[in-house]
Amino acid sequence: MIMACSHASRFRSALILVLGIVSLIALTALSLAIDKTFISFREVAQALWQPDMSDINHILINTTRLARTLVALVVGACLAVAGGLMQAMTRNPVASPGLFGINAGAVFFVVFFSAASGVSTTGHMMQLAFLGAAVAGLLVSGFGMMNRAHFSQLRLVLAGVAVTALFTSFTQALLVVNQEGLDNILFWIAGSVTGREGDAIGVVYPYILAAFAVSLLLARHINILVAGEVVARGLGQNTVVIRALISLIVIILAGSAVALAGNIAFIGLIVPHLVRHLLPHDFRWLLPGYALFGAVLLLLSDILARTLLNPQEMPIGVVTALAGAPFFIYLARKGMRNG
Amino acid sequence: MDKWVLVRANGYSRQLHLQSLVVILVLSFIALLIGWLSLAIGKYNLSIPQLFTALGSGQIAGDAFIVQILRMPRMLLALLVGGALGVSGLLLQTIVRNPLASPDIMGVTGGASAAAVWFLTVAASSSGAFWLPLVAMAGGVAGGGLVYLLAWSSGASSTRLILIGIGVSAIMTALTTMLLLFTPMSSVMSAYVWLTGSVYGARWYEVTNLAMWLFPAVLALLWVGRSVLVNELDESLSVGLGVNAEFMRRTLLVLSVYIAGAAIAYAGALSFVGLMSPHLARRLTGRPGPELIVVTALVGSILVMVADLIGRVVFLPLDLPAGIFVSAIGAPYFLYLLLRSRT
Amino acid sequence: MKRLPVLFALGVLHNPAGATHAVTHALGQTMVPDAPARIVTLFQGATDITLALGVKPVATVESWAEKPTYHYLRNQLQNVPVIGLETQPSLEDMARLKPDLIIGSTFRNERVYDLLSYIAPTVAAREIFAFKENVRLIGAALGRQDRATALLEQFDQRIAKTRSLLEDKFRARWPLSAAILDFRSDHVRVYLTDSFAGSILSELQFRQPAKLGQSGWPLMKLTSKESMPVLDADVFFVMLRDDNGAARRNYEDWSGHPLWQQLAAVKRHQVYRVDPVAWSLAGGIISANQMLDELGQRFLRAEAE
Repeated sequence: MIMACSHASRFRSALILVLGIVSLIALTALSLAIDKTFISFREVAQALWQPDMSDINHILINTTRLARTLVALVVGACLAVAGGLMQAMTRNPVASPGLFGINAGAVFFVVFFSAASGVSTTGHMMQLAFLGAAVAGLLVSGFGMMNRAHFSQLRLVLAGVAVTALFTSFTQALLVVNQEGLDNILFWIAGSVTGREGDAIGVVYPYILAAFAVSLLLARHINILVAGEVVARGLGQNTVVIRALISLIVIILAGSAVALAGNIAFIGLIVPHLVRHLLPHDFRWLLPGYALFGAVLLLLSDILARTLLNPQEMPIGVVTALAGAPFFIYLARKGMRNG
Repeated sequence: MDKWVLVRANGYSRQLHLQSLVVILVLSFIALLIGWLSLAIGKYNLSIPQLFTALGSGQIAGDAFIVQILRMPRMLLALLVGGALGVSGLLLQTIVRNPLASPDIMGVTGGASAAAVWFLTVAASSSGAFWLPLVAMAGGVAGGGLVYLLAWSSGASSTRLILIGIGVSAIMTALTTMLLLFTPMSSVMSAYVWLTGSVYGARWYEVTNLAMWLFPAVLALLWVGRSVLVNELDESLSVGLGVNAEFMRRTLLVLSVYIAGAAIAYAGALSFVGLMSPHLARRLTGRPGPELIVVTALVGSILVMVADLIGRVVFLPLDLPAGIFVSAIGAPYFLYLLLRSRT
Repeated sequence: MKRLPVLFALGVLHNPAGATHAVTHALGQTMVPDAPARIVTLFQGATDITLALGVKPVATVESWAEKPTYHYLRNQLQNVPVIGLETQPSLEDMARLKPDLIIGSTFRNERVYDLLSYIAPTVAAREIFAFKENVRLIGAALGRQDRATALLEQFDQRIAKTRSLLEDKFRARWPLSAAILDFRSDHVRVYLTDSFAGSILSELQFRQPAKLGQSGWPLMKLTSKESMPVLDADVFFVMLRDDNGAARRNYEDWSGHPLWQQLAAVKRHQVYRVDPVAWSLAGGIISANQMLDELGQRFLRAEAE
């Protein structure tokens, strides 16, 4: 498979990325201006550069709105990149991080440990969610990729389904006997980027950055992996190691996303498809593209989520599902391109 | 080499697969055993003579009440629901030729859930609980129907069917979540238990109703059962063998959605049974065919009956929904099978 | 509602020996023995009310908090077994106990009403938190109407007295608006008039906060701190489950935010922590009285702003 890009297409790709960055900035500004109340852009700019700590609008912008925007951007990027990597690794256009049972594991750990010992801080809850995501992800990749000689996509998916079902059943067992427990986490499960203070990101930030960096380094290897098992081996690639690394990256990214924002569907599934229509199939372009457009889409969803039901909010997972699923169906009807 | 048994009587001649026959017999025995346990065990255990007295008693009081009115319909409902969901999953996997297919991803479970939760959170106070199964079934059939409409018109590729199924299910789940979160009621526990799947409080009339709904489906299955074998093979082969493939696939799909919708209507969103039973059944018989339908039904029935038994008996004084244990027993076993197999 | 053919054949409801009286309830009319001694209560409020009427049940369902039974009732419920969750009480246990009367609710038990009726005469409450209606219903069922009326009159007197105390204390500013806030780990619930505590507060003539009433939602669940202005009211009654650290943390988060400081109740230091069991979870007449106790002790005797 020839991965070379002509100058024209490279220019076009760069243009698309730039467009992405521009929309990112525009949406960020919008996100800081719109929430339950509308604050003018001028005031937003003022709040960012010359904050006046006694002005309530400035405080709002610099605390809740900024934190929320950042979380949405980071989570969107993580989910999209994780989804794209999953699709590459399994060579299946419908793969997504949910396949690894990550959501189910995260939810179970949070429910179990908060029932057992009373989770008190957001930080703890995030650590638990991340731990649960990691355990589930490792279980699934372990079971799914045990057979080193032959990677079976089916096996991986079946392992994912089984582990998800297992953790879900444990969670249900805990929640059925504990009504308070259920009412306490419904919103988190449904997906939410609010209520996380800025320092919550600080906890996972280094891991996310590291994962992104490693994935970029691996980009060329991923290009080869996607070409097909036979080709990759023929070119001397150690597919087992590459897959293991990719799995690790996916677990870190998706696990962080779940820990920060609960269960958000479809970003990991759809964004990679969209981006693959726009950019060449070279992961050195695709990965930044995934991150960028994932961030943009999730932020857009969040803006919708917080304004549609004022003063209550729709969970962001619901917005992405209600908006993403019809689009996904449309794509399916038209025929999907392989990742 | 597969062994076959030839059955001949009065001009009727049929070959039966020996291994499947043996499996069917063993599973039937196990099902009977579990059924007996379901009747005899609980917070109050009944010995065999006591059980028989209770079963035979015309006077409904004491033990007879517990056995005949409480435990028996529950056990029978679990049996019917498990069998129905298992078969539904098998039919789906056959049509789509994808071992991941199940009513859960075909929009049936999702549609039924959305309808049921809507009924439980918004409408319940005005109408009686009697309408719940009908509402749920309508939702399930609508969900499956939607997937069918969207997928079939653009060409019946099985991949497309699954993808659209995932999309529709996601929409239904999102709607269900919205209902749960923003219901005017302060408690969503009843709706949540329904979503987990439970046969608590099963009644005789529910058992007979479900049996009534399922009966025509069973007849239809007898008629098309043979093509289940053929359909698993290559499409061109089945066409070559004179089977009208497209018609067969549509019929099986309709049957699958209908059966699953009926089962879910009475037991809640019991997921995983439809996915797992066919897989387990295949590993037991090792061969596709009409016998596989029976084996799958038995596996599904046993799974749900055991799950309900555990929920009812192990965590006294609590009575936990069967849905929890279906996955709790099924998933580890599934993983164990994955561990053992090479493919 | 469908009845089992079997039941028809055997003579529909359990025919209690001895004198009976008819009780009309949400699911029809039932013949209940005149002085039932063995009662099974299938929801929290029923347990509370039955005890208040002077009868000890033979079985109850598990409480939502302070399991298996609320602390305030625990002494009176010595040796009373718990037969499962409110959502799935064990029918077998009930059958074995041979009760004289079962008190359930349409919300939880409608589906199994036939089965319950077979075990014992069953009355069903229309609405779990409508405690006054339930006191009358259960009083009628137990044959203790006098006691029931006395309890309600006593409660109404307390309401009237508390109301006049409130009017005296706040004079021109009365009626005040009050918001009932329930902090959970991931959201804040606001109970409006159509709830246990809300109905009592509105009897006391507290007003509903203006913006909440306008919004049109019956029950609000707020996840974003920016929604705070919609809560604005003169008084806040705040519920927190003490064993839920995450809820406490959420409360600290919200109360530390500048928008919180702008709310009227906060500015006037009229934020009171109250007991969630009495104000929301228990739903009976004893707990209603406890709610008034707490209101009197904390709110009425608190220092003036």
